[in-house]
Amino acid sequence: MRDLMRLPGARLIQHALLAFAAWAVLMWVNGSVDELTNYYLALIAMYATAMFGMVILVGLSGQVSLGSGALMAIGGYIFALTTLNWQYIPLTSIPMNGVWAMLFAAIGGVVFGLVIGLLGARLTGPYLAGLTLGIAVGIPAIANRFPGLFGGETGLQLTVPYPDGGYPAVAEASGEQFVTELPTSQDALPSAGASAGAGDLLTSDNFPSGDASALPSVAPGDLLTADNFPSADPSAMASVAPGDLLTVDSFPSAGATPEASSLDVSVLDPSTGTGTDGVDLGFVLERWEASLAIAVACIVGFIALNLVRGRQGRVWRAVRDDPVAAAVSGISPAGSKVTAFMVSSVFASLAGAVFVQILAYVGPGAFGLGLSLSLLVGIVLGGRSSLVGAVIGAVLLVWLPEFVLGLAGDRGWDEQVTNNAPNLIYGLLVVLVVLVAPGGIVGTLQALVGRIFKRTARSG
Amino acid sequence: MLSITDLSVHYGPVQALSHVSLDVPRGEVTAVIGANGAGKSTLMRTLAGLVRPESGSASLDGKVLTGHRAEDVVRMGVALVPEGRSTVPELTVDENLRLGGLWRSKADRAATHAEVFDMFPVLGDRRKLRADTLSGGERQQLAIGRALMCDPQCLLLDEPSLGLAPLIVTQILELVKRLASEVNIAVLLVEQNAVTALRVAHTAVVLNLGQVVMSGTASDIASHEELRHAYLGC
Amino acid sequence: MTQFLDYVLGGIGSGAIIALMALALVLTWRATRVVNFAQVGQAMFTTFIALSIQTLTGSWFIALIGAIVAGAILGVIVQYLVLRPVKRMDTSGAIIATFGVLIALQAAAGMIWGGDSQAYPQPFSNTAISLFGREWPLSVYDLVVIGFAGVLVVGLTLLFTRTSLGLSMRATAFNPEVARLSGVRVGRTLTIGWALAGVVGAVAGVLVAPTSAISPNSFDILLVFAFTAAVIGGLDSLIGAVALGIGTGLILSVVSGYSDSSNAPVVALVLLALNLAIKPEGIFGHNSARSV
Repeated sequence: MRDLMRLPGARLIQHALLAFAAWAVLMWVNGSVDELTNYYLALIAMYATAMFGMVILVGLSGQVSLGSGALMAIGGYIFALTTLNWQYIPLTSIPMNGVWAMLFAAIGGVVFGLVIGLLGARLTGPYLAGLTLGIAVGIPAIANRFPGLFGGETGLQLTVPYPDGGYPAVAEASGEQFVTELPTSQDALPSAGASAGAGDLLTSDNFPSGDASALPSVAPGDLLTADNFPSADPSAMASVAPGDLLTVDSFPSAGATPEASSLDVSVLDPSTGTGTDGVDLGFVLERWEASLAIAVACIVGFIALNLVRGRQGRVWRAVRDDPVAAAVSGISPAGSKVTAFMVSSVFASLAGAVFVQILAYVGPGAFGLGLSLSLLVGIVLGGRSSLVGAVIGAVLLVWLPEFVLGLAGDRGWDEQVTNNAPNLIYGLLVVLVVLVAPGGIVGTLQALVGRIFKRTARSG
Repeated sequence: MLSITDLSVHYGPVQALSHVSLDVPRGEVTAVIGANGAGKSTLMRTLAGLVRPESGSASLDGKVLTGHRAEDVVRMGVALVPEGRSTVPELTVDENLRLGGLWRSKADRAATHAEVFDMFPVLGDRRKLRADTLSGGERQQLAIGRALMCDPQCLLLDEPSLGLAPLIVTQILELVKRLASEVNIAVLLVEQNAVTALRVAHTAVVLNLGQVVMSGTASDIASHEELRHAYLGC
Repeated sequence: MTQFLDYVLGGIGSGAIIALMALALVLTWRATRVVNFAQVGQAMFTTFIALSIQTLTGSWFIALIGAIVAGAILGVIVQYLVLRPVKRMDTSGAIIATFGVLIALQAAAGMIWGGDSQAYPQPFSNTAISLFGREWPLSVYDLVVIGFAGVLVVGLTLLFTRTSLGLSMRATAFNPEVARLSGVRVGRTLTIGWALAGVVGAVAGVLVAPTSAISPNSFDILLVFAFTAAVIGGLDSLIGAVALGIGTGLILSVVSGYSDSSNAPVVALVLLALNLAIKPEGIFGHNSARSV
């Protein structure tokens, strides 16, 4: 067995199993929790995807970058523009779909990562932070510059059909009536009953094929990714001011507030999964969003795991800790930094593509400096150089605002206080972590466990 | 007189100085010699207040120095010229000198300023130039001049000969010796180049691995056969 | 051509404000080798304080004094409580800590004063001056702004070159150990540097507020402009920060004049990227410590 572990592919298999296990567990969770939790799950997975890249760039490679929000914007806009404007992939007869759009987003991430990386590789500390700060502020501003293409300040809505059939309503859903948004166009509606059971993995072949043209290019067994879904109410995004830190309560929460929606709203009876207007509502938007985000996060996590724990991870750490020594050992510090930039921007682009699908919207307001700052907050709190820390940070980013909201409800806080309390806590926590526990939650736990083991070893 | 009693310093688990005791009388040059890593620079930095000792104490004419910060130790009369020609390269010669002893009265500082120019005429010629345009020897003179501006009762010199031509080293050390006797200050001189140091010093101690292994008059130590082989390499 | 000159002149006022904010960044950089990304957050906070004082007393001048005092205190607090304890080796930590302060200050301001944009009263005439038979692209207020910037720059220059405190601050910036061994109380000097930066930032905040409006995030873009100016100016150079700050203001004014003001951030970004790619040490800088 030990010999087996030494085989070249062994670590790859180990990581693949780990990622697959994480995916399976998350998909089980995805199938068993309610819409709101699934929505949070989607956000957490999306944040984690971007933050895996931040761990590599900021933690391992030691470059404090605020560019991730802007790179998410690039991924998001590429996804939106390609799905909105292309029926087929140009110069081919391959029909566009969400998978291709994600791929284009990733390619965009490589290109922009290379450009920013080449600019940033020579820079250290504050210079890099400042340059990426400029990018974080400047790139969303470009969207304002070209309203024709990018939709300007108001952004673009995604209105591509989402998968035919879809998810069943959650079996354990409470008896009370819940409300969801429906697409306005009839042909975008799911037409068949759900064939996938709660907890089933989402693949294209467990979707009922009532309307085969809705999933034209997905082969049976393919992981389902973005084939889009009804657009959220664009006016909900108005509550997100440019530069605001995005939190859960600043997101337009689809399906939660019928008053805010200008779209058709149907009251559902969860026991039948049928709307009052007689349309079948087996498709549960939040579960689909979560399954998409989880799939992307697991794939990206698998890649990140291989990079971090492999040769490249050692190279990044070596350059971070002592660039001169690394250079003397034949490693190119600049090359290693550019690589870190490219990897992290591909991850950020993919996260951005997932993000716009969760929002059903893309616009400069969603990708402001606030998003970049919250990603930085997340990895610092979780643990700057740990992938597990990124996941913990992502959970914190989504959970804390909800926690504060609950607390505020109990205590009857002013809205002004409630809305700003999460960021105040984030800011103070970041300072505290830097001063007291630079390793974040994961680093501190590791140190603690290490100390306990040492003590038992000594006494034993 | 500078008195060091039982001084110990740790860097993490590494014992840099272990129970060092030493007296540096006024009017004399006392040399500390020893190999690389013997703890010579640590001793100097501890005396100047840059490093906290673990135990033991140092005092100047009865005033306890240990436990005070570097900026206070220099006000109490102990000035360190650290290793490597420590000047502020971005400032001019004049500014480097003015930096020393800013807490003193304007008149006192002007007087010392003039004395330093008397002692090191080359600095007077270069007073408007940035320190990084000076030669190595000139910068060492500037570093000593800056320390003298603090009106020290005790001068700590850490490897003043480092990287300088032998002739310049001799000049500087002769000047230091004259300074000690004329102004009646205590001078503690750290040198790796033991032969040079013993030539100007009155007394000397030998440090090895943080401990004083021998002390005596400079000539005694210079003629000690065993020691010459073990520590002086000649 | 006249139009071009008008755009250039029209940029002097905003350029002076960028110059002041850049100056604040340079002051903290010189003092502690930290770029204080929270600087605009501090300025935003003190400007809100000034607005409250103004509402209370009705006096623009008392409000300005209040902002200056608050700026100094806030600078001292941030330096003393946040940056002094950061380990010297942890440069990433210092940068992250300043962003933490920025986030916390913006949230605190939102809590106290709300997230909406608020108008800041205009103390002087903001209409174009008519002189020699034509309208100039400058207002009395622009001249006041330029005047304040000029006084601060001259004052700081005198402080740095003529006083013992200035000498201590320069020595501490370049070589803290030698400064300490010379008897300079380094900790106190650094804190004074941050207080000064806080004052300069506070003045910039109060001066910029009437021309736009003030909200917790409204100075973010000023940070980008000021950072651009400070870096191109060499980060260590007061003259560089002022010259490039005004220069940035002029360029942005011309760009906005001929195209659209929403181009300004992109132009600043391009300038910054070009500078960092071609001459990373800045125009007035002489250290090469910024690249590996």
